[in-house]
Amino acid sequence: MGKSKRSDSSADQYQPLTIKLGEKDARTLDGIVQLAGDVVKAATKQKDPFIEIPARTLSNVNFNKRRKIIEMGKATNRRQLFNLSQAKSYMQTLLVAKGCKQLIFEQKTTSIRGLFYLLKGTIEGTKEETFDTQDECDPIIEDVEVTLNALREELHVYAQSRGNLAGPLTLVDSGDTIDCARMGSSGYSIPSIVEPDIIQFIKCDAKFVLHVEKDTVWRRFNEDKFWRKHNCILSHGGGQPPRGVRRMLNRLHNELGLPVYCLLDNDPWGYYIYSVIKQGSINLAFESQRMAIPEAKYLGLRSIDFDRCNLSNSVKIKLSDTDVNRAKQIASYPCF
Amino acid sequence: MEQQNFLGAESDSGLPESNGHNLNNNGHAGKKSKPEKEAAKPATDRRRRVTAESMATKQKEISVSEFFVKNRHLLGFDNPRKALLTTIKEAVDNSLDACEEAGILPEVWVHIEQTGDNRYKVGIQDNGPGILKSQIPNIFGKLLYGSKFHRLRMSRGQQGIGISAAGMYGLLTTGKPVKIISKTSPKKPAHYYELQIDTKRNKPEILNGKGDGIEIPTGEAGQAEIVKHGIEWIETNHGTRVTIELEAKFHRGRGGVEEYLEQTAIANPHVTLHYVDPEGHAKEYPRAAEELPPEPKEIKPHPYGIELGMLINMLKDTPAGTLAQFLTTSFSRVSTAVATAVCKTANLSSRAHPKRIGRHEAETLFKALQVSKINPPETDCLAPIGEQLLLKGLHQVVPAEFYVAVTRPPAVYRGNPFLIEVALAYGGTSPMQKVTRETLKELLAESDARTLRQFLTNTFSGVGTEGANRILRESELGTRAAPSKLKPKEVDALLSAMKNVNLEEGQSMNVLRYANRVPLLFLPGACGITSAVINTNWRSYGLSQSRGSLPSGPVTIMVHVASVWVPFTSESKEAVASYPDILKELRLALQAVGRKLGTYLNRRQKVKQEGERRQIFLRYLSKVAEATHYITGEDTQTIYNGLVELAKKKTSEADLVLDESGQAQTPSADDLELGDNVLIVSEDTHAARLLPSLAPEQPSVDES
Repeated sequence: MGKSKRSDSSADQYQPLTIKLGEKDARTLDGIVQLAGDVVKAATKQKDPFIEIPARTLSNVNFNKRRKIIEMGKATNRRQLFNLSQAKSYMQTLLVAKGCKQLIFEQKTTSIRGLFYLLKGTIEGTKEETFDTQDECDPIIEDVEVTLNALREELHVYAQSRGNLAGPLTLVDSGDTIDCARMGSSGYSIPSIVEPDIIQFIKCDAKFVLHVEKDTVWRRFNEDKFWRKHNCILSHGGGQPPRGVRRMLNRLHNELGLPVYCLLDNDPWGYYIYSVIKQGSINLAFESQRMAIPEAKYLGLRSIDFDRCNLSNSVKIKLSDTDVNRAKQIASYPCF
Repeated sequence: MEQQNFLGAESDSGLPESNGHNLNNNGHAGKKSKPEKEAAKPATDRRRRVTAESMATKQKEISVSEFFVKNRHLLGFDNPRKALLTTIKEAVDNSLDACEEAGILPEVWVHIEQTGDNRYKVGIQDNGPGILKSQIPNIFGKLLYGSKFHRLRMSRGQQGIGISAAGMYGLLTTGKPVKIISKTSPKKPAHYYELQIDTKRNKPEILNGKGDGIEIPTGEAGQAEIVKHGIEWIETNHGTRVTIELEAKFHRGRGGVEEYLEQTAIANPHVTLHYVDPEGHAKEYPRAAEELPPEPKEIKPHPYGIELGMLINMLKDTPAGTLAQFLTTSFSRVSTAVATAVCKTANLSSRAHPKRIGRHEAETLFKALQVSKINPPETDCLAPIGEQLLLKGLHQVVPAEFYVAVTRPPAVYRGNPFLIEVALAYGGTSPMQKVTRETLKELLAESDARTLRQFLTNTFSGVGTEGANRILRESELGTRAAPSKLKPKEVDALLSAMKNVNLEEGQSMNVLRYANRVPLLFLPGACGITSAVINTNWRSYGLSQSRGSLPSGPVTIMVHVASVWVPFTSESKEAVASYPDILKELRLALQAVGRKLGTYLNRRQKVKQEGERRQIFLRYLSKVAEATHYITGEDTQTIYNGLVELAKKKTSEADLVLDESGQAQTPSADDLELGDNVLIVSEDTHAARLLPSLAPEQPSVDES
């Protein structure tokens, strides 16, 4: 079965390090090399290669009552190369690690979509692709994050940006000074990575942060210049807020001491968004500490307000079956 | 008393029958039913149309021959196609019986010649002991004349109807007499007869030699005589040839003569068959075993198997002086002690004279026999084919990769000993799929087939007309294209179609049924064997099967019922009756082969799965090695080799099929510990054996 032919493109060849890496990058690289080292060890000592990946499941998260955030447990999943159902994902994990190493070496960052296309390709001698869709790639990237205990930005990967903000806030984003009160109708687009080395706050006159669920509501508020009238920062996360938005809210809250109010729909999805902002999510439980805002407040209609305020039936929308199922699902989460 | 009861029952049953008749009429035509109904009413005042006296003038005996002329379907002569086969079958059965009884390794010639539209001349010759001059007319010219009816012994023929009925059918449809030539020794003259049956009297009529037949002397003079009378005869030291001309239809494929001969060869590996079909193609089935089966013993009836009327007749006919003597001499397994006990139970004196036993006493004796404890009948009267010979026979004719045979110990139904044998052949790719382009071209050039379809069916075994049609459809060539005039492009199309068409698809289990070594070709649905096969759960042995039907897959199963008296559902011997005892034995035998097949298929499946697993691992290893190299700088090839080795270790079971070059290998019988009644054939050797011209192509090893 000698499929020894290999592509000779230099991109696939090992290249020694030529530049000096930052402390963070060096640490991440160590992890990646260690991951691949297991394969070398397995090949030379004829032992089963495997990766221990911390489990990102409901069963492996705990609600820390004291800190009021979701924390990841200690359970791990073993991913083996010589297991029919895991062989492919094992290979994909190593490919992602390889891609990250490449990014670190070249001191570039790319989106998760970019990484997906960087690694996608047909496996030699077959009609199979390394990754079929991006949906296949994204969880693998998260796997690598938790396994290396490295943040996404440390892997030089970012997600597509989603979510905007506007308000009396001046910040420096990658060297550019931005006044978020002068961002026109679309506001300042919150990047995926908002760590202090990329974004620094310069000046803030706001009294609080108002986070709304989606773009529609945000535009209404922005058009009416609600944030100017009430002196607040107006943000939205396009539904379930991505990491960048959550981390931004977290920094605004912790570094600038702004209270966070969430104006969300009175439905299972809205409630869950609130819970994620407040306590953290199951999938990213390992980042809760950096993202959760236990002091965030819910702002909006509650079900009891219907009677309390004598609202008419016209404001009600019937829950669909998926809504009901989601509600039941959420209700079973320990943190609810 | 008994008689009256019997009669009473008869008249009782008469009533509902007539009712049923009326109802039937009603259903058919509403208008007609009314007057008929009235007519059916008992009209007491109507004048009698006939008297007992006038009826008596019309009442007369019916001869067996007349009966069977009218009811020839009972003997298997219902249509021309079947008539041909039945004729050959009866003649071959007789030949084999005669040879085996005389201790001669049978060699049988079957010649079919077309003499007109729907008319065929069938000649069957054997190397048997020959028949005495005086017996020839009776054997071939009289129904129900033979040596086999009155004895309990395992033989193919049973009643003595078959060959005479075939002759009668020939006479009826063509007017030509039956021609028989028989020789008992090289030194004695042979006899030649032309016979016909006088159906009214069931008696033979000799036509030639002024009613006395012709004597053919030995040597040169005999040769001249043979030529003079236009006799067909293949020179042997002894033997018989019967030639019958009949209205028939020759048919190839399923239910044809060839299939019958093929199946006969499977169950009779000690027989050599020579066959010439109407188109002059000769085919030979050489014997696979040089030994005759052991001679079956004749046994006496077992007390459990007889009926009251039979007992009364036996009592009347016995030469024995006392009842005890009668019991011990007329029945098997009745010792003096048992006889005494039976007499005591029946409250009869053991020294009573058998001829003086009245009907009532006979009945008590009969009941006493049924309740007494008597050992089951001896079973050494049965001569099974044997597991090894079954394997050999099946292997000779059915190309497959896995064979298993089981011979059950004898059992008893209705006092008759019987035993069941089952052999199974599974799988095997048709040699057709291994042909190279060069050999195919050679075969096409050599072939004398007129059409491509004929070429495919004649050249490759396991390709039926259906399969050939599918191949031709796939290759988009005309069915009538001449094989020798194909263009190179068309040869390529044919070759790829031959390799791609899956002949196994939708194939259902092929059941070959045998009774006393005779293949049963008709009425599979009415046969106990078929229902036993269907009612066996083959799914647990790795075959797919839908409820109430035969399992599917490339499987051939042969089932042999051997008995001193095989219970057929009709005189034409086409289906075995479903006695519970027989069904039970059938089930056990089928399950026994099923288990072996299951083990084999299971193992094969596992090997295949392991192979697939390995393929999946190997697929990803190169990527893993590449990524590892990129990250750590270790040598890609070293990592890859290490991982491949590991993968092989992990899927070591797959090595049973994949050796170094990746060539397919089959697990051997030793690995599976299946026992010695199993034969596993590597496909390559099989292809070589079937068609010597198709040497298996060397597996191309592409390692570079």
